[in-house]
Amino acid sequence: MIKEYIYIILADDDEDDRLFFTDAFSEMKINTKVDTFKDGVELMNYLNDSESILPNVLFLDLNMPKKNGIECLHEIKQNDRFKDIAIAIYSTSSSEEDIEETFVCGANIYIKKPSDFNTLKKVLSDVVTINWQYHTSGLNKDNFLLRL
Amino acid sequence: MKFTEFIRTPLFLRILFVISIAVIFFISGITYKHLTRLSESSDEVNRAYEMTLQLEKLMSQIKDAETGNRGYIITKDSTFLEPYLYAKLRINTSYMVLQHLTDNREQPNDHLVLLKTLIDSRLAQMEKSILLAQQNKTTELQQNLLKGKTTMDDIRQCIANLTDLETKLLPIRQEDYKNNFSITPIFIYIVILIGLILTVLSFVKISQDYTELKKTNNQLLIANESGNIAEIVGNFGRWEWDIEQNQYRFSDNMFRLFGREPGTFEANLDNYLKYVHPEDVAYVNRTMTKMMQTNDLPSFNYRIKREDGEVRYFKSVGKLVTNKSGEQVLVGTTSDITDEYNTTKEIEERNRELERSNKELTAFNYVASHDLQEPLRKIQTFISRLNDKEINYLSETGREYLERITVASDRMRNLIDDLLQFSRSNKAEKEYESADLNFLLENSKQELSSIIEDKKAVIISDRLPTLNVIPFQIQQLFTNILGNSLKYEKEGIPPQIFIAAKKVKASDEEQLPKNAGDSYYKISITDNGIGFEQEYAEKIFILFNRLHNKNEYDGTGIGLAICKKIVDNHKGYIFAKGEPNIGAVFTFYLPTDLKNN
Repeated sequence: MIKEYIYIILADDDEDDRLFFTDAFSEMKINTKVDTFKDGVELMNYLNDSESILPNVLFLDLNMPKKNGIECLHEIKQNDRFKDIAIAIYSTSSSEEDIEETFVCGANIYIKKPSDFNTLKKVLSDVVTINWQYHTSGLNKDNFLLRL
Repeated sequence: MKFTEFIRTPLFLRILFVISIAVIFFISGITYKHLTRLSESSDEVNRAYEMTLQLEKLMSQIKDAETGNRGYIITKDSTFLEPYLYAKLRINTSYMVLQHLTDNREQPNDHLVLLKTLIDSRLAQMEKSILLAQQNKTTELQQNLLKGKTTMDDIRQCIANLTDLETKLLPIRQEDYKNNFSITPIFIYIVILIGLILTVLSFVKISQDYTELKKTNNQLLIANESGNIAEIVGNFGRWEWDIEQNQYRFSDNMFRLFGREPGTFEANLDNYLKYVHPEDVAYVNRTMTKMMQTNDLPSFNYRIKREDGEVRYFKSVGKLVTNKSGEQVLVGTTSDITDEYNTTKEIEERNRELERSNKELTAFNYVASHDLQEPLRKIQTFISRLNDKEINYLSETGREYLERITVASDRMRNLIDDLLQFSRSNKAEKEYESADLNFLLENSKQELSSIIEDKKAVIISDRLPTLNVIPFQIQQLFTNILGNSLKYEKEGIPPQIFIAAKKVKASDEEQLPKNAGDSYYKISITDNGIGFEQEYAEKIFILFNRLHNKNEYDGTGIGLAICKKIVDNHKGYIFAKGEPNIGAVFTFYLPTDLKNN
């Protein structure tokens, strides 16, 4: 079967946020497949299974029980198999330290969760349709944080 | 100058003393010699008289012998022989005396030898005469008597010569004696005079030294007393350790530090250690041992237990001093630092408290920024979902309620954002860096660009300086003040904002407090908005203080409080001046030379 959709995974412990996330994609006109995991351990178990299909874009919440987003980011960046996955940090926090740390660890983009559903839809569609190759090659700290 | 200094040295005094003693010895020696000579010349004179006397005596004795001799020859009576024989004996004695008197003379000796020969021959002639008279050889006797007369004449001549000589010598000797006699008092006088001068000099010098000593002593006394007072006021004591003698000396206040009266115990290390807190004795002992080895005592702290049992904190420090006599003394001070110690402890405790509350504040910031925002964000997202999808299913009242919920949640969002900004402007740990204020102003105009455009506002500014500031905070300051001016515009009149900058001296600015720094940049932002009553000029900088109902103007009452905080962070001052319906002027002063600590 030819893969015609963009495969997206979200790891977030918050049920409401997972709901907004899937709702937003279901309302978009882009052909996507969205899977969600409720913590870092579940996510890594899935990714480390060689049978699993790897996502095109991975959305990582930072504050999660068991294994947090930063830890997941470290593990993913250490494994060569995951080198093609674009990683978007998806967090409530907009603290300088978090932005700095995830940037240094090799995340591709940083999104602060918006408080408006339409904004959320726009942000997510922007992220998913970014030409990742182009974005990654010119990545710097200024365009790392996606401003709304 | 140098010579007068030399005169004051003890060495000079010693040299002077030795020279004087030598001079006195020398003159005394001369005087002694002189006196000896005086007595010698007096002896000479005496001897001359004696000589003359003895010569006359000798003459008369010879005459006596001759008379006796003649008497016998004429009478042949042996009674005449008696004086003759006696005179012969005495002649010899007299001659011996004469010889003795002339022992140490040379000249008269020839005459004396001649005299002796003549006397001997005369005596021999007399002997012969007696013999011839006994044999009655008259002719021969006559011849012999004649010969005797000639010899007698020679003797008389010789004695006359000797007497003459003595008579001639006598005036010379008398003159000599007189001379000696007149010079001697002069020498004695000189010795006495020099002695007197020396005594006077010594007295002057001693009295001078004594006056100086008294003066120095007085100064020392005053210095000592002021030292004692300083010790009492400063709560410290002095001590000395004479290294060679291993002797200690404590100042009066040293005893008081221990709660004792001055001098009530012997100053030594053992007695000192008795007062050291039992837990610190080992440490102090170690330090003292080290001090004795190295002859140095770097500052160290310990506790003591006073006579009344009170525990005090002491600090001691010592330094090796070599005095003018070359003795090494370790001098030191010991201060009672209990008050300082307690104050420091209190400050440390307060600092810890501050740190604690600061940490709590940071934790609160995190809660506000993260945990409070998250539910609010969800509420707002759900509201937007309702507005999008469910609005048509709600009644008119339901829609109005939803509208009010939206406004309330927006307000809460603003409040949280502003509060966060305020607490962030609290942080003083940001470093000052050189920044172009024109650039920062441009940035904040950019931030406000949509409002500026909407309201057709005009912002005119002077050239701003480049200063050492926390750039993002100054940008925030511009944004808040400009935002304020834009918000409180006069209905229907486009806002006009003027920004003026000027370097000023603090002393020329009445608004600035007296303890302000030297020079500042004064930046004034003037608008043509609704202004405010001057009585509120200070109130508007207080957190959550608002002049207007939130139905008229939205706002949280935090914006200007942030401005105040930012200017405070820059050690500057901010003032507001308002006139209703004319406008407002916000003026802030930033120091020209802000430095990082």
